[in-house]
Amino acid sequence: MWINMGPQHPMTHGLWNLRVRVEGEVIRDVEPEMGFLHRGIEKISENRHYNEVITLMDRCCYVAGMSWEQLFIQASEQALKVTPPARAEYLRVLSAELQRIASHLMWYAAFVQDLGLMTPFLYGMRDRDLVLDLFQSYTGARMTYEYMRVGGVRNDAPHGFTDQCRKVLDWLLARFVEYDQLCLGSTIFRKRCDDLGVLKAPEAVAYGVTGPMLRSAGVRRDLRKDRPYSVYDQVEFDVPVTDTADVTGRYLVRMEEMRQSVRICRQCLDWLDRNPGPVLADHLPRWLGAPYAPVGREAYLLKRNYPTGLGFSMVEEPHGEAGAYVVNDGGEHPYRVKFRSPVLINIWAAKRYLPGYRIADIPPIMGSVDVCVGECDR
Amino acid sequence: MRGVELSAALAARFGDKFLGLDPFPGLVGRVRFDPSVARALFEYLRDEQGFVHLTMVGGIDWVDHREVFYTLWSDRDRTYLQLSADLPADHPTIASAVPVWPGANAHEREAWDLVGIRFEGHPDLRRIFMPEGYEFHPLLRSFPIHEPEELEVKARSD
Repeated sequence: MWINMGPQHPMTHGLWNLRVRVEGEVIRDVEPEMGFLHRGIEKISENRHYNEVITLMDRCCYVAGMSWEQLFIQASEQALKVTPPARAEYLRVLSAELQRIASHLMWYAAFVQDLGLMTPFLYGMRDRDLVLDLFQSYTGARMTYEYMRVGGVRNDAPHGFTDQCRKVLDWLLARFVEYDQLCLGSTIFRKRCDDLGVLKAPEAVAYGVTGPMLRSAGVRRDLRKDRPYSVYDQVEFDVPVTDTADVTGRYLVRMEEMRQSVRICRQCLDWLDRNPGPVLADHLPRWLGAPYAPVGREAYLLKRNYPTGLGFSMVEEPHGEAGAYVVNDGGEHPYRVKFRSPVLINIWAAKRYLPGYRIADIPPIMGSVDVCVGECDR
Repeated sequence: MRGVELSAALAARFGDKFLGLDPFPGLVGRVRFDPSVARALFEYLRDEQGFVHLTMVGGIDWVDHREVFYTLWSDRDRTYLQLSADLPADHPTIASAVPVWPGANAHEREAWDLVGIRFEGHPDLRRIFMPEGYEFHPLLRSFPIHEPEELEVKARSD
């Protein structure tokens, strides 16, 4: 018998449909259905100025907007042959790591609520708000930032930001201990998570699974270490792995990742305190620095000087490895933009890690995947 | 250095079906190949060159022809490689990578849905984002972006 779990289901956290074939209580086959949130971001990007695509990136993944901005900006800078100043790179890494904390807290809150634990949900949302407050203080927005630009970032952090940020990080580190006590110390949590949704390393690699799901299977792969982009080679951090490959393993990996993100943030803050400077490249072509997209005769005249090129960027986004491929054919708009969504592939592997378990196990297992349908459907 | 080695190995193995390796900053390079050897190339790269992970598959509509590209990751070398093949616009077909990397399933369905590239041997080549029965492949240049009111979305077949 086939059952539709979705598109409206408490387990899905967004619009997608998990078709499940069951025999009694036991899952035999699954068929994820996507596309309920498809907005055609790749197509819209083809008709927009590079800096105008940043707006779409925030909406692409609304819980990890900064990571997707960084992804697209890095690929565009390679395609357009622009180099950002060092201070902008540190602000980007700081933003991306704060975003990782915010995203993991959002996951934590939603995940434990699926298990029926209400207190951790409230704690997670409360602490995520502190990170969003930080974002608001230097970008003006809580979720859709439009902060990064081709050639740097829009503005520097305000006076007193670094001290405020350190306070929040100290607060968060103390809260992470509470989270672990609430979850790992709870028998209900352990019984619903241990040895569930097991996806061992060889299958995870074959299915293209990335991010915390892959690291929980014992594969120490993190693009920030393996292929350092931006200034990740300048900061110290560890890549947490577990070898249980189950739901608890993914929980442990994400919790430790947040601690490592705090470590990275502190190093970035120290660097930002010591090194004032510009945050936007000053040699930008006029059409990139302009607040508007040149049109008509002006665009025609400028077009003769447009560079051409290909841009490829991969970032370790909170959900996994996100990729962007930008084809610049010399126009003011990208000719083609292709994004790789880690969530789409992680959900797809459900064909591998769901069969054999019971229907009641689906919420914890799919919760541990950290689904963001915005980036999955794009 | 890796690019030079790989280029020589591919030339020895695939002869004139291997069309060259272009430099690509930050990657090993960009391998251009003839689509007729796709399946053999995938297996060779996975088994003998260590590219175990398929990162993305996509297509580009260049109006007079279509390009299909693959990005691969090697755990051994900690690096990416891009593959690219040109397909004729009236018959954009290439062998599926699903038997080699099972994770290609969703990527190829997406490329079929959005760019209209057919993957032969794919177990379940249906649309993934757009509804079944939709008459356009939206990322083609011929997609009528200025007349959205004229588009009529047909119901899913099931």
